[in-house]
Amino acid sequence: MKMEDMSLSGLDNTKLEALAQDIYSDLVEDACLGLCFDVHRSVKQGYFFLDDTDQESMKEFEIVDQPGVDIFGQVFNQWKNKECVCPNCNRSIAASRFAPHLEKCMGMGRNSSRIANRRIASSNNLNKSESDQEDNDDINDNDWSYGSEKKAKKRRSEKNPNSPRRSKSLKHKNGEFNSSVSTDIYKYNYNTGISYETLGPEELRSLLTTQCGVVSEHTKKMCTRSTLPEPELVMESDGYDVSDGQVLMGRLHWDGSSDISPSDSASSKASTTNSDPKRTKKKKKPSSLSLTAVGVDRGEREDRGGSGSGGLGGSSSSQSALGLPGRKKKPKLPAPLGPSIYDDLN
Amino acid sequence: MSKETQMRAAVNQKLVEMGERERLKELLRAKLAECGWRDELKAHCKDVIKEKGLEHVTVEDLVTEVTPKGRALVPDSVKKELLQRICAFLAQQSTL
Repeated sequence: MKMEDMSLSGLDNTKLEALAQDIYSDLVEDACLGLCFDVHRSVKQGYFFLDDTDQESMKEFEIVDQPGVDIFGQVFNQWKNKECVCPNCNRSIAASRFAPHLEKCMGMGRNSSRIANRRIASSNNLNKSESDQEDNDDINDNDWSYGSEKKAKKRRSEKNPNSPRRSKSLKHKNGEFNSSVSTDIYKYNYNTGISYETLGPEELRSLLTTQCGVVSEHTKKMCTRSTLPEPELVMESDGYDVSDGQVLMGRLHWDGSSDISPSDSASSKASTTNSDPKRTKKKKKPSSLSLTAVGVDRGEREDRGGSGSGGLGGSSSSQSALGLPGRKKKPKLPAPLGPSIYDDLN
Repeated sequence: MSKETQMRAAVNQKLVEMGERERLKELLRAKLAECGWRDELKAHCKDVIKEKGLEHVTVEDLVTEVTPKGRALVPDSVKKELLQRICAFLAQQSTL
C-alpha cells in the first residue's frame, strides 16, 4: 500500500519511535496474557502446585554446603579403608582392591582368563614336543596376518591341544623325521618324543655324526647343532628361490646352535636357543614366503646390502613393515642372534 | 479516523501479513523464558493464588495482578533488541 509509505516517510523519528514502542508493548502484553492463561489453566486442572514439595522434604533434601562433605551431605571416601570379606576365598580385602581381587578370584575377568591361558600354555610347552615349531611355521605362512608375527609369543601358548592342525603336523613330523635322518643339516629341532632306544644303531650313527644329540633334561629336546662344516650355508644368501624353508632353517639352525656350547647343559639356554630359531624363523618366513613373486627382489635387496626398504616399491616396504613388529621382540632374544640375521638382510 | 490511526492500523496489518509479528512474538517469548522472566512471574502468580485462594482465582484477577509486574520485569537488553527489530521493520516498510 502506498498510503502508508507516504505517511511513514512523512513521520519524524519520535513518532516512529512511539510507534515502535506501542508495537513492543503490545507484544509484551501478549506474552503476559499467555502466561496468565497457562497458570490459570493449571490451577483449575489442579497441577499448578504439583512441582512443589512439602516443607519437611524441602528441609531434608536441602543442599549442603559444608567443607569435607558433598552437597548431599555424604563424606567422600568413607568406605575406602573398610574391609570386605570375599565370598569366594573368605579373605578380608580392602574395599578399593575388592573388585580386581574378585575378578581374579572367581576367574571371570578379561585378565584372569588371559593369565590362565598363558599358564596352561607354558606348562604345555614344557611337556610337549617340537610339533609346536612346525605349527608355528604353518601359521607363519599366512601372509595376511602380520599381526600373527606380533602375537608369535602368545600364539604358541594359545594353541588348542585338540586342533586338527596339531595332529596333522604330528603325523607329518613323524614321517619327516624318518626320512630326514639322512638329510641332516636342514632339520627342525622338534623331536622331544624320540628317545635313543627307539632308533636303530644305523639311524643313531648317522644322526649323531651330523648332529650333537644332547638331550636337555628340562625341555627334553635334542640338540640339533650341526657337526658338519659350514660352507654350505654361505650359498644361501643368493638362493632364496631355492626351497626357502630348508635354506632358512639351516641358516637359522646354525645361528641358533652357535649359542649352545657342548658343555652347557643349562636348560634355559637350550630352551631359549631352541625357541630362537622359531622366533627368527617366524620373522623371516612371512617376508620371504608372503610375496613369493618378490623373491627376486629380496635377492637384490640382499646383494645391495643396507638399502633397507630402499626404492623397491610398496611391496618391499611392506615387507620391512612386516619385519618390524618382529623386530620389536628382538631384545628378548640373546644378542648375538639378532644382529647376525638382520645384518644379512640389510 | 485520523491519519495517524489509519497509518498505525496499516502498519499493524502489514506486520501481520508478512508474518513479522509472529516472528517477533516468538523471539520475545524465547528471550523471556531464557532470562528467567517467566519463572519470576510464575512465582508471583503463586503468591497471588495463595492470597486469593485456589478455588476462586479468575483469569481477570491474574491478569490485573500480573501484567504490570510483567511489564516491569522485562530486562533492558530484551527490550532494546525488540525495539531495534521493530524499527528496522518500519524503516524497511518506508523504503519499499
